[in-house]
This record gives sequence, C-alpha cells and structure tokens, in this order.
Amino acid sequence: MNSQALRKVSDYLWEVPKQGKMRVPARIYTREDLLPAVLADNAVQQAANVAQLPGIVGAALAMPDIHWGYGFPIGGVAAFDPAAGGVISPGGVGYDINCGVRLMATRLSREEVQPRLQSLMNRLFQAVPSGVGAAGGIKASRRDLEALAREGAAWSVARGFGTQEDLERVEEHGCLAGAAPEHVSERAWRRGLEQVGTLGSGNHFLEVGCVDEVYDEAAAQVLGLPLGTVTVFVHCGSRGFGHQICEDYLALMDRAVARYGIELPDRQLACAPLGSPEAERYFGAMCCAVNYAFANRQAIAHLTAAVFEEVFGGRAGVRTVYEVAHNLAKFETHRVEGAERRLCVHRKGATRAFAPGHPAVPAAYRAIGQPVLIPGDMGRYSFVLLGAEGAMAETFGSTCHGAGRNMSRHAAARAAQGRNIAQELRSRNIVVVAQSRRTLDEEMSEAYKDVSDVVEVCVQAGLSKKVARLRPLGCIKG
Amino acid sequence: MQSWLRPFEHTADVGFVVTAANLAELFARAAWGLFDLLTDLETVRPRERSALSVTAEDRGALMVRWLSELNFLHQTEHRLLCRFEVDQASETRLTAQAWGERIDPARHTVRTEIKAVTFHGLSVEQADGVWTARILFDV
Repeated sequence: MNSQALRKVSDYLWEVPKQGKMRVPARIYTREDLLPAVLADNAVQQAANVAQLPGIVGAALAMPDIHWGYGFPIGGVAAFDPAAGGVISPGGVGYDINCGVRLMATRLSREEVQPRLQSLMNRLFQAVPSGVGAAGGIKASRRDLEALAREGAAWSVARGFGTQEDLERVEEHGCLAGAAPEHVSERAWRRGLEQVGTLGSGNHFLEVGCVDEVYDEAAAQVLGLPLGTVTVFVHCGSRGFGHQICEDYLALMDRAVARYGIELPDRQLACAPLGSPEAERYFGAMCCAVNYAFANRQAIAHLTAAVFEEVFGGRAGVRTVYEVAHNLAKFETHRVEGAERRLCVHRKGATRAFAPGHPAVPAAYRAIGQPVLIPGDMGRYSFVLLGAEGAMAETFGSTCHGAGRNMSRHAAARAAQGRNIAQELRSRNIVVVAQSRRTLDEEMSEAYKDVSDVVEVCVQAGLSKKVARLRPLGCIKG
Repeated sequence: MQSWLRPFEHTADVGFVVTAANLAELFARAAWGLFDLLTDLETVRPRERSALSVTAEDRGALMVRWLSELNFLHQTEHRLLCRFEVDQASETRLTAQAWGERIDPARHTVRTEIKAVTFHGLSVEQADGVWTARILFDV
C-alpha cells in the first residue's frame, strides 16, 4: 500500500477510507516522518484487511508501533460487537498469548546498584531460567497446570511466589475470567508443562534500569518512581502453551470460516462469530494461556525480588508497580457514539490504557490513570506512561506497546559481524548476560526503531501521558 | 548451503523456499530445513527413529501440520532430527520416519525457538516438474 491510499486526519492520525469490502475505515496513529517506515511492509494493508471482518466497530486501529504481523498487524486494535455478528480471531491475539510486561521498583539508587551490577545480573541469570527451550522454572504436574490456567497469578502467589499486594497491580488482577481447561489440547499441556517460571528467548528479557527522566513529578510519586529509582522490567508470555493454543485454534477456525459464510482476504485472519461453539472454545482456551502468562510473570517477578534481597538485603524493597498484557482479546464496555456497548477488544502488540477514574484501574492509581509500560531496546530507554481520555474516546482504551524491529534477525546478525555487542554495551555501563551471542546480535539496539518516536505520537494524539523514562543498567536475554 | 533450500528474510521472522522433484522429497527437505534453522545439522547423529503420520485438508495445511508435528517433537522430547524419509505423501496424508537424537548441550547448540509454522504466504506448488514450498516461521 502506498501513501496515496492514506488520508491525513490530523498530524498524528492517518486513515485508509472505507472502500471495497471494508466495513469500517482503518486508522493508523503515526507521524509524517514515520510514514515511510509504516508503509515499508504490508502492515497498513493488514489493517485494511481487518476492517473487512464481520461486526467490527468504529475502525480497524493501529498504534504507531505498527508493523507486519500474521493476519492482523502488530500494534493492531480491533473491537467486535457480539450483537452485530462480531468475531473473535486467534490471529488478532497472536501466537504469544498475553505476552506482557511487569515493572517493579526498588528502594535502591543507581549508586548503590552499580558496583554490584555484574554479580546481580549473574545471579538473576542463574535464578530465572531463560533461553531457547528454557525449562525447569517451577515444577508443575498436569493437574497443577490446570489450576494455574484457571487461577493465573494467584496460583503463583498461593505457592509462595509473591504477595496478594502484587495481584492488585496486575491487569485483570492477574486472572482473566472464562478459562476452560477442557478446551486446551493435550499438545498444549505438554508444551506448557516444563516452562512455568521461564523467560524464553527472542525478544523476551529481564532488565534492570533506573529512572533517568521524570516528566510528571506528581504521577511519578504516586507510582513510586522518583528520579534515580532502580527498576526491573520482566517481558515474557505464555511460552509454548500459548503458541500451541493459537496454532490449534487457527486450524479449527480455518475450517469453520466457510461454515459461517465468512469471506477472508487472508487465511491467517481465520475467525468465528462470538457466541459460536468455536469462538467459545477458543476464548476458554485463550484465557488459560492468558492466565499461564500471568502466573509465569508473577513467578519470575518473585524470583527476581528474591535475588535482589539476597544481594542487597532488606533495603532492596522490590515491589510491583504494574503489569500490562500486550496480546489478548477480552470483553470490555466502551462508549461508542453515545451508547455503552460490550465489545470483544483484540489487542495484538497494543496495551490497554484506561483513563483516570476507570474502575479497572487499581485504587492506588485511579486518580492518575492506568500505568502503561513501554519497553524500548536494550541500549536506549523505556517509558512509563498513563492512560488518557483520548484513548477512551478513540482507541477502545488502547495505546502502543513497544519499539518494533526495523532490521530482520539475519540483517542484525550481519550488522553485528566483527563486533562485540556485549562489550559495546559495557562501554556504556550496560551489563548484558545472554544464553547466546547470536541472541545478543539479533537483539542489538539498532535492530529496533526508536521507541521515543512511538511514545511521542501516542502522547501528541492524546492516547497517553508521559510519566518517566528508564535507562537500562543490565539486561538478561534468553 | 543446499542448492534446494533458500532462506528468505523477514523483519521479525524467518522462512525458506524449498524445492524437490516430488511431493515426498519436498516434505523431507522442508523438515531438514526446519532443523537446519534450529541447529547445525552436522552435529546431529541419526541414532533414534520416530514414525510420524499426519493428515490435513489440503497440501498447504499438510505442510504446516507436518512441520508443526516435528517442532512439537523437538520441544516436548528435546530432540533434534537430521534424517527424514517420507514413505507416503498425498495431498492430505503423510507417513514418514525421522532419525535424530536427544539434545546434548555439550555437542548441540539450539539457535532459536520456533513458536509456530504459519500459514502466511504459504505455498506448496508444482511447476514444470519441480515442487516448491514457501514457508514462514514465527520465531
């Protein structure tokens, strides 16, 4: 798709007008100078394809970190009305169901952490299983796994991994209602069995950082993130369990599409009408994977806190700031053209960003809005934002989720040839520990877009507010 | 690099195009290509045999099912496979044998984790007596 196909709505919003089989327009939050990158892959066409799905409400939306995905673009948000033939689509959630991010804050300053950074990172690397095929985080039987899939983060807390207080600060309190373990395949259980409490590989990471810039002093105080605070990010998802559930239900829905008379521009958009047996089964299974990821991050967060206490004693004071989900579909009530409607909101590489006052925002943060956590790359910075009214009015309470790649893994590995990425980062006082040098090469800073551009568009468009910027000090890559 | 296997690049993921003289060989080579993404196949010995059988509604879906089955075997039984013989391959059913061994961290490096074999841009076609498959993996 070229720039001619796009109509400028405002300085931060472009639109593919409704045409052909599109039921609604596709709207992309971006900026003029970022448009060439947005148009470089097929992501805008993918957003236009999503606009063809039955029962879609308002517009097929894409956040500024839009890039090519399977079926739905990454950075995509789409809401479907069950009362208007709306659908649910595994491709609108993605393979890594409930991939997400937890942010923790400590009572430590950068000066306290810096001298022991290397040993801290080494200990974290030992304590949190990571890497390709990572296994053995937490022993769980098949029966345990079913309970975990129903209970989410609370399952981990009940086993001593964290506290009740943590659950208050996790999206959905760490458990999406509706889990139906009977709709999870034997293959998914088998893939999930050994991977509870593991980080995984690829773009998943555990990062120690510190607040290096504060944009909103009052909000930073409420979140416990004053300048200089040492923080920890955990980015991971539902591992092989979620991947298998997505695969199983893509195949099931691929077969169901014809039966429901749904015409698709791309086979990867396979879906089924909300309320149909296929949709119910997928939702039940997807909730299991969502809860698996919540339990997983809760366990990893606890393992992380334990290492901090071991290294720094009681003064570490690690506590959860918030946790957000990036890839899921859930039922939410939104105001559309003056009327409240219960919709199935798909977010694929997008973050919920509810405005101040929303009942789903934890009481401690309700006056400022829901915290939104936007990791960048391991060499630059990440951001903490808050949900804003603009998101409620325009994007079903959603905003961006991260930087997005601008280089293929091969291209990054080539660009890293003859270089030592770990050494380069070390010279900038960032300690990285990774299972493989190849992962470090593929995940190098330059392989990612500048996350500050993405954040700036969301802020200018009124979808979020900036609170603080975090600088990486140390990073574990799988 | 094998002449019949050509990797292609994608911003977030990896894929390859594989060619063969017939459908059975195409499935066998695609399987080899999958494990070639995962590890250095020179280091894998064909010590244990597995018998596999998969079905699907068309040959594209069959390719996805076949490679997914192998990835499942790799992930759940921690095996690397290096030799494949497809006994029977139709548009909708495949029976095969595969040889390999359990992952030994001392000898094997597993480079990546494949989340899924995708339907995106998937093709399994024959033209002028050559079978070609194009497959993209979510990593």
